[in-house]
Amino acid sequence: MTLALLLLWVVSGLLILQERTVFRMVIYLGVFSLITTIIFLFQGAPDVALANASVSGFSTIFLIVCFEKYYSAKDSAKKTKPNMPKVRLAGVCRGVAVLLFSVLMCVMFIHFLPDSEVSTYLKHQYATLFYSDVGGENAVTAIYLAYRLYDTVFEALMLVVSVIAVVHLSFFDEMSVSSGRQSEIRHSATAIRTIRVVCPIIILFGVYLIANGHLSPGGGFQGGVAVAVFFVCRFMIFNIYDLPVGTVLKDEKIVFLGIILVAVFVIFLGIHQYFPYQHTALLQTLYLLMMNTLIGVKVALGFMMLFYRYVAVDRQ
Amino acid sequence: MRMMEIIPIIVFFMGMFGLMFSKNIIKSVACLVLMEMAVIVFILGLSYRAGVLPPIGRGLQYNLDGIADPLPQALMITAIIIGLAVTAIDFTMIIHLVRKHKSTDWNEVKALSRESFDKC
Repeated sequence: MTLALLLLWVVSGLLILQERTVFRMVIYLGVFSLITTIIFLFQGAPDVALANASVSGFSTIFLIVCFEKYYSAKDSAKKTKPNMPKVRLAGVCRGVAVLLFSVLMCVMFIHFLPDSEVSTYLKHQYATLFYSDVGGENAVTAIYLAYRLYDTVFEALMLVVSVIAVVHLSFFDEMSVSSGRQSEIRHSATAIRTIRVVCPIIILFGVYLIANGHLSPGGGFQGGVAVAVFFVCRFMIFNIYDLPVGTVLKDEKIVFLGIILVAVFVIFLGIHQYFPYQHTALLQTLYLLMMNTLIGVKVALGFMMLFYRYVAVDRQ
Repeated sequence: MRMMEIIPIIVFFMGMFGLMFSKNIIKSVACLVLMEMAVIVFILGLSYRAGVLPPIGRGLQYNLDGIADPLPQALMITAIIIGLAVTAIDFTMIIHLVRKHKSTDWNEVKALSRESFDKC
């Protein structure tokens, strides 16, 4: 069963490699991500599976809307051909060389895989201690919110930086010039009806993932992406750019500051030491819930910003 | 039987082949996503055993051998989210190229940018 799934995974990867049209490649990429999600589930990682499912759903919608806007057939028809030299034989030789190199590296890596077992010291430590140290019932959430908190803060910083990069690499200088304008993209009526029905379920699912992140699979990242998908659906229903870009950017930075402050006060300064002993469990749950909510809001704002920034840029 | 480690390596090098060989810029980014997914599956698959359980619940210390390793999972969630952010930046640059040169072919874009470089 697992082997069949892995082979299906390889086949979907090959489909991406041989495809020439962009739209079909995006759909194949979605299929590939879906099969990867199921593999994560088989590996005993439902948190990673949820993260990958929401991210792949988001990115598929994102890419389709993006290319609907920018990459039409009109563009590829009227493009000017530069005077390129004809190098067909050299291209074939280069392809064969690249293929040989890839196969050789692949065989070498498989051959030199170490035989020893993976060390289980940290796994035993975390699985034994996380319930008394951090609280909650999800070991993964406990690790990324307490033991490896630097990673999470750095990841949130990376997201802020990437949103700033996307906003400032986009085309026009005024921050919210397109607010309140209708988009020229027209979606089909059936799709819009379906999205209208699915929309409330999506945001309910996102809030559930955020609020139950410390007890069940889920958490801030996954729930945040699901909430961002809700805003994408909202754009597809109403077709209007009514998002004040500058305000959302400012909000995201404020929420990031909140994440750092909560982390510093609770984990690095150990604020729960100053409370009576019997409140420890309550404080731990409060901390996990607060961090998950902050991370969820931050991720939702960031991805919403990415999407609207792509779609709201006008086509000349 | 270490298929959870061998097959991700194969997919990784498939992605590397596509990245080096493909002419379309968007396909290169898709191959980058392929490689990223392969790395994530590989790292999670290092401690894979058949019928492994997720590390969720209270009495985990009584069943230490039957649960999955939670540490790589926590790191890989981070990797997935950063991967999407990186892909978004890639596509911003690609949209710049498409608007400037009206093409998504590496060779054409290279030739066009060389022409415009020669002009000025």
